Amino acid sequence: MADALIHPWVFARRAEALGARLPPLMVAAERVAATVAEGVHGRRRVGLGDSFWQFRPFLPGDEARRIDWRKSAKSDRAFVRETEWEVAQTVFLWADASASMRWHSHAAAVEKRERAEILLLALALLLLRGGERVVLMRPGARALSGRVGLEQLAGELLEGDDEGVGLPPRVNLPRHARVVLFGDFLAPLTEIQSEIGRLASVPVSGHAVQILDPAEALLPYAGRVRFEGLEREAPLLIPRVDVLREAYAEKLAAQQDGLRAICGAAGFGFAVHRTDHVPEAALLALYAALATR
Amino acid sequence: MNFFALSFVSPWVLFALLALPLLWWLLRVTPPAPLVERFPAIQLLRDLLVVEETPAHTSWWLLALRVLAAGFVILAIARPVLDAGAAFGGSGPVLLVIDDGWASAGDFPLRAQAASGVLDRAERAGRGVALLFTATSEIGAKPVVSPVLPIPEARARLSALRPKSWAPDRASALAALAGWAQPGTSVVFVSDELTHGSDFAAFAAALTRIGGVTKICCETPVPAGRVLLPPRLEAERLVARLAQAPQAVPSSHVVLAQSGDGRSLGRVVIQVPAGAGSGEAAIVLPPELRNRLERLVIEGTPSVASVALLDERWRHRPVGLLAGDIISAEAPLTGPLFYLRRALAPYAELRQGTIEALLGRDLSVLVLADRVVSEGAERTALLQWVEKGGLLVRFAGPRMAEASQVAARLSRVDPLLPVRLLAGDRQLGGALSWNQPVALAAFPAASPFAGLPVPDEVRVSRQVLAEPTAQLAEHSWAALADGTPLVTEAVRGAGRIVLFHVTANADWSDLPLSGLFVEMLRRLVQVSVGVGSPLSGTVLAPAESLDGFGLLGASPPAARGLAAEAFAATPVSAAHPPGLYGAENSRQALNLGNQLPEPEAAPAISGARIESLVGGALERALGPWLMAASVALLVLDMLIGLMMRGLLGRRVVAVGLVLLLPVRGVVAQEARAQEAPALATRLGYIVTGDARVDGITQQGLSGLSNYVNQRAAAALAAPDAVIPGLDDLSFYPLLYWPIIAEAAPLDAAAQTALNEYMSRGGIILIDTRGSGTGEGFAPGTEAALERLATGLVVPPLIPLDNEHVLARAFYLLGEFPGRFGGGSVWVQREQDRANDSVSPVIIGGHDWASAWAVDGAGRNPYATVPGGVRQRQLAYRFGVNLVMYALTGNYKGDQVHVPAILERLGQ
Repeated sequence: MADALIHPWVFARRAEALGARLPPLMVAAERVAATVAEGVHGRRRVGLGDSFWQFRPFLPGDEARRIDWRKSAKSDRAFVRETEWEVAQTVFLWADASASMRWHSHAAAVEKRERAEILLLALALLLLRGGERVVLMRPGARALSGRVGLEQLAGELLEGDDEGVGLPPRVNLPRHARVVLFGDFLAPLTEIQSEIGRLASVPVSGHAVQILDPAEALLPYAGRVRFEGLEREAPLLIPRVDVLREAYAEKLAAQQDGLRAICGAAGFGFAVHRTDHVPEAALLALYAALATR
Repeated sequence: MNFFALSFVSPWVLFALLALPLLWWLLRVTPPAPLVERFPAIQLLRDLLVVEETPAHTSWWLLALRVLAAGFVILAIARPVLDAGAAFGGSGPVLLVIDDGWASAGDFPLRAQAASGVLDRAERAGRGVALLFTATSEIGAKPVVSPVLPIPEARARLSALRPKSWAPDRASALAALAGWAQPGTSVVFVSDELTHGSDFAAFAAALTRIGGVTKICCETPVPAGRVLLPPRLEAERLVARLAQAPQAVPSSHVVLAQSGDGRSLGRVVIQVPAGAGSGEAAIVLPPELRNRLERLVIEGTPSVASVALLDERWRHRPVGLLAGDIISAEAPLTGPLFYLRRALAPYAELRQGTIEALLGRDLSVLVLADRVVSEGAERTALLQWVEKGGLLVRFAGPRMAEASQVAARLSRVDPLLPVRLLAGDRQLGGALSWNQPVALAAFPAASPFAGLPVPDEVRVSRQVLAEPTAQLAEHSWAALADGTPLVTEAVRGAGRIVLFHVTANADWSDLPLSGLFVEMLRRLVQVSVGVGSPLSGTVLAPAESLDGFGLLGASPPAARGLAAEAFAATPVSAAHPPGLYGAENSRQALNLGNQLPEPEAAPAISGARIESLVGGALERALGPWLMAASVALLVLDMLIGLMMRGLLGRRVVAVGLVLLLPVRGVVAQEARAQEAPALATRLGYIVTGDARVDGITQQGLSGLSNYVNQRAAAALAAPDAVIPGLDDLSFYPLLYWPIIAEAAPLDAAAQTALNEYMSRGGIILIDTRGSGTGEGFAPGTEAALERLATGLVVPPLIPLDNEHVLARAFYLLGEFPGRFGGGSVWVQREQDRANDSVSPVIIGGHDWASAWAVDGAGRNPYATVPGGVRQRQLAYRFGVNLVMYALTGNYKGDQVHVPAILERLGQ
């Protein structure tokens, strides 16, 4: 997202600001990822690769050249040497950067966007450790791998200050790529459906994680309140918010059901994460889901 | 009482109430300001809006609340007054006449309130007030009518008014009224309902002449003119007397006899029958207590009329004792002073010494037991003392008999004898005599002994005889059955000489052995004049004076000295206020009841309107209350508003509402020293509820802690009082538990706490405070212990011997005394290995706390029984062992094996 028109001095200042924010974000992401990496053992399954996975008894139908003679000579039975499945896959990651993500209520300590970034980076870290390649879902982004790749990813993530509309941008994706989307998904369902449907038609599969503030989930306000949106919506005066709470909860549930249905139809997984919950749980679920597919 | 007697000072303000509907309308159209929140999911909310329609108006009850608050404000500004009194007649100034003499003190606050009410009414009517206080002022100024004053100034003067401790001066007040000439005056007379002399009729006439009279009086809680007269001293008792204006109903008054420090030593009730003007009741107190009385007071409202001060005239008399044979005089059962001392000591201060030394101090009575005073300086001094008022009591005896023989031979007269004696003595009943010892005759009526019962068993076997004269019978206060005088007396100047014709020991008669002897001496001492009775003509300066409320304080400026002999005849006045006069050591009391004319109820004033002092026109301004109510409503409104905007949690609102309510006094938890029990090692004791026992325990454990701190490495902080079940016991290595007989059984929580404490290694020292030599000191505690211990897990016990660790934990002890010795101390049998076989409970009855106790002055306030420094030391040593045992367990028990270990090491 290099903007050639930006004055070098401004660019340096921005880089400096990013650098200040980067280490804590990285640390948080690594901390989150560390807990998950110990719990789940990557893609430890039989497949094409170089590293040894396991010996198993020779079964009828196996090619004879696959017999590991050294192992078989130690006993009467023939063993087949299996190697671990090693395949590098590219995972496209996207975090909603719209204004509505830059907000948190009294009940939560972090903004939704910050949580989204932490989850994204932590997931990227896990994927990179597992040998996958990650790409920010953004025009012109490059596929990154290795430890260095994570830092580049973080830099790119923070650099992009785009006021998005709350939906993933239109990027050319390879077929059968994996996509992970972080956002609040509060936009009208029809818009979301068209975007997800477009992704599914590539075809790509993946996950969508809805990140909500606890105030958005519970509507904890009471009395006469004037609500103001964050994306230049018209303000809304509600005389007694507490009366609306249940109706709001139903409305939110309907939105989430709709999202779940859209994702299910497109072959996407869907999960909800609240910013007052610990990110590790969401990451674990997400990583496990990615690993099994 | 007129319930709806409500009036407004500024009624025109009430027109503002008409604006309230406008306010209602204004409030209705203004909704409350909303709270502003930023919210991303606003789109979801927007779709919901159809569900709830917006109430644009404030709810009606909130409106009503606000309008009510506004209405209160308007009403408050209109200054409503409840129960405003009736207006006075006339249009000129109001003449307010107030009786401020002694009789007004009892209900003075009511009078001041009534007078203040008069000022309120005059203020509303826009009239000035002139004041006349009918008693002479403290500076001796006669009553005068003040000029007509504006109300604030009159109020200031009224608030400075105090009741006087003397009577109003009707004559001077009458003279003051004579000069008053203001047309249209209305008179208000706050009366004390007494005439105070003969001028009342003229005074009343003068009041009615000036203008319409309103009399405020009557129905006072204190009977009019009730005054406590100086008590009358009778042989055995003090008779409290009371006078009052006769009442239609009988009344009773409680009189307290108080000592100088204000403690009540006696209490009697004086009944005054209907229509009577006086009553009396006897205060019977032991002489020791009676001597400490300083004043009598009528219980109830303080007033000078309800106080009677007592001075030396009502006090004990110092008695000097002197015997002829000083060496044998004090011998038990044979010496005369032995009997005299026994008889006089309970109620008289006894002094001994030479005649010179005795007379050097104030002395009321001098008793000479068979002591002959020969001519010379001694006799002169004695005579002078008797002339000044001393009472000389002489007892006969062999020496006197011999001296009388000599005197008869030389025809000399001993001026220190009331009668002339015949030579020698008379023996009644003996080996060579026909006659028998003689009994006593009844006492003559004029004798101070009159009325004392004469016991039959008293026999006189020997006596000195008076020379028979015509006056002998007059001079004799007691005689034998055969008519010979036993006690004779003679007046010498202001004093008196009394002679007992027998010895003061049992040699000559049984009299000293009988109770009659004690009674006779007691009566004699009461006959004597008090000490330090000043010489005639001495003027005593006022030292302290009673104010109108009966409090002793500095004398008013007008007070003047009073001659000593004039006390009995002087009525109190501004110049001679009631109080104490004279030097520090010989105060004379002048009481209001002294020479007070009988209180006489004042007749009604013709044509006067009468208002009651009590139930009457007590005005109450409602404005401030309305204003406060309005503020409270507005605060409530604010809280509700905040709650509706969601700014307040419901909890906060509840707290706010609670704060609006008047805060009741919070019952303070009994403050015990439980600040931080874990920060230092300290002993604890279980609170029994008996303040005395708990105090002893506190002192005892403090004393023990100090002792331990001085002698051992343990550092104990001040002990704590604990209540099992309420306090955490785990901080205390040792709990001391004194048992009281009335101890209530432990509740379940306390039992659990104590059992838990014992099972976790705590030690409880249970003390029944009454075993061994202390048998019977604390009856019932053993039963109480049985009752208390039912729920406790007490292990099997054995008596503590000197093999036990407790006997060698610090000191090597063979016995374990506390305040009491002997008896056994019981500890756990040493077979249970739980808790290192440290006994969880130690039971004894030696009252250790009392032995350990050290009071504020560093002394041991409780004597050990049977006693001795050794016993207390052993008690402390037991305490040290106990603390060591509690702190170190059976550590010292291992040292039992030290010899064996050393032996093994040596090999």
